[in-house]
Amino acid sequence: MTLSALNADVIVDQLNAGEVTATDCVQHFLDRIQIHNAELNAFIRVSESALEQAEAIDQRRKSGESLGSLAGLPIAIKDGICVSGQPTTAGSKMLENFSPPYDATIVERLKSADAIIIGKTNMDEFAMGSSTENSFFGPTNNPWATNRVPGGSSGGSAACVAARLAPVAIGSDTGGSIRQPASFCGITGLKPTYGRVSRYGLIAFASSLDQIGPMTRTAKESALLMSVIAGFDPRDSTSSKEQVSDFLTGLETPLAGLRIGVCRDHLNEGLDVEVKTKINDAISVFKQLGANIEEIELPQTKSAIAAYYIIAPCEASSNLARYDGVRYTFRAQANDLEEMYRNTRGQGFGDEVKQRIMLGTYALSSGYYEAYYLKASKVRRMIKQDYDEAFKKVDLILGPTTPTPAFKLGQHTQDPLAMYLADIYTVSANLAGIPAISVPVEPSSTGLPIGLQLQGRAFEENTLLRAAHQFQNETLWHTASPSEPWRTQS
Amino acid sequence: MSETPEQPTVNQVARLARIHLDDQQLTSSGEKLEQILEFVSQLEQVELPKDVEPFFGAIESVNAIREDNLQTSVPREKILDNAPESDGEFYLVPPVFRNTDS
Repeated sequence: MTLSALNADVIVDQLNAGEVTATDCVQHFLDRIQIHNAELNAFIRVSESALEQAEAIDQRRKSGESLGSLAGLPIAIKDGICVSGQPTTAGSKMLENFSPPYDATIVERLKSADAIIIGKTNMDEFAMGSSTENSFFGPTNNPWATNRVPGGSSGGSAACVAARLAPVAIGSDTGGSIRQPASFCGITGLKPTYGRVSRYGLIAFASSLDQIGPMTRTAKESALLMSVIAGFDPRDSTSSKEQVSDFLTGLETPLAGLRIGVCRDHLNEGLDVEVKTKINDAISVFKQLGANIEEIELPQTKSAIAAYYIIAPCEASSNLARYDGVRYTFRAQANDLEEMYRNTRGQGFGDEVKQRIMLGTYALSSGYYEAYYLKASKVRRMIKQDYDEAFKKVDLILGPTTPTPAFKLGQHTQDPLAMYLADIYTVSANLAGIPAISVPVEPSSTGLPIGLQLQGRAFEENTLLRAAHQFQNETLWHTASPSEPWRTQS
Repeated sequence: MSETPEQPTVNQVARLARIHLDDQQLTSSGEKLEQILEFVSQLEQVELPKDVEPFFGAIESVNAIREDNLQTSVPREKILDNAPESDGEFYLVPPVFRNTDS
């Protein structure tokens, strides 16, 4: 079987068994990127040193050195995460030439596990978007139908895993940016609990919502990556000291007796008919697996998008104040300091980023704090309380990841609200800080992937991964790959 | 939001945000801003219990403190490598004040 058809855990086993060298493995994926990236634009940049690193790992293996748990495994990293000495742009002209002086903690951990960073993936500028169309480096195309978006903001990571240009990838999720593209591209994406994975070295969008997580074909591969990247980091004061268990153990524990909540409101209004059918089919699979399905209420989640589009832009307007032409490579021509700030930000940021900074600035301006940010933060409390109540009754909450399959490129670019509603089912988990995973269910009649979302209690990623893994033991949707050459229409 | 002060114009918001927008961008940004503000105004309808506390983030009431130990940090020259303009020791910027004499 060709390497690109194998899951990461199998690739790691083959590397360890000496059945394949890290060099051959990295070369295989570099070749695929070379062939397909022009059409998909999933990678902004390929690592120049990946092959060299692979050779070094093969040498170390030959000489009998003990190696890390991911030794030789290629991995793609979203371009909003710092890799020392490699350009890291966050999809922005503002950072086109920025080269971070240090590694993000998760990059450091992946490197110590001897994984090989194969490249940096495309994304909506500063992670603001749901389609990867807001990238300075052009949109990424969905390998299932290249006239459609891959979702966003981690669209490059999702597309490259779906197209097997990398076995696994890392994304970040502020309002759905891992799960929504995972859903659109037919892969598995996990947003961990807030604080579970260090944000050190993640270019900040909205600091109380941002979280890094794995984007893989299977839940088992996500567990494999989580075992490396999760855990306390003294350099991120919001990272949690909560015990990190081995995410791989317990995956096989049967689901008998597991209580899964379904919120009927989330299966009605505005939901694509086919998505609804496929999610209901998936519910039947969980029943067969022994789970008890129970109805739950999440009444305040209907206000989640509105609260999110106050809170996230407010935090962004503050976080992005640092891009002022002084420290981060890009500076526009100006005669004085104030003009330099204004011109640099006017020319360096794309339209959506400017729009959100404007919105956040407006909402935080004098006299508006209580009406907007404070009110939204109180609604956020109510949403969290909804989850607290629900999780007294059930262990997991099941629903669709997105209201529709992948939409067409350009379909929502002139209508910000339509775009924002793509995140209607995902933003609540960020507001409440809980973990959530998207897994593929049966695709639409036109062959577009559909995602099922499971949400869990804080720090119970194990339960999410176990349920997702058991579902994938029972179904084959996650094994489907887009056919080559990529379909251009759907 | 009726009881709030007079709305800042899109021009004022752009100035506060230190973003230069041309006239066309100002118009388009103003329209989008209005559209989004109308959408989020649904929050006004949400009835909250009197004593509800705002929730600002998932990690609450934990102050992260550590020992005050000396640690190595990234060398200055590596940080200044990303500066648009520096003298090797400091960031350089255009004049803070315009010369009004001339």
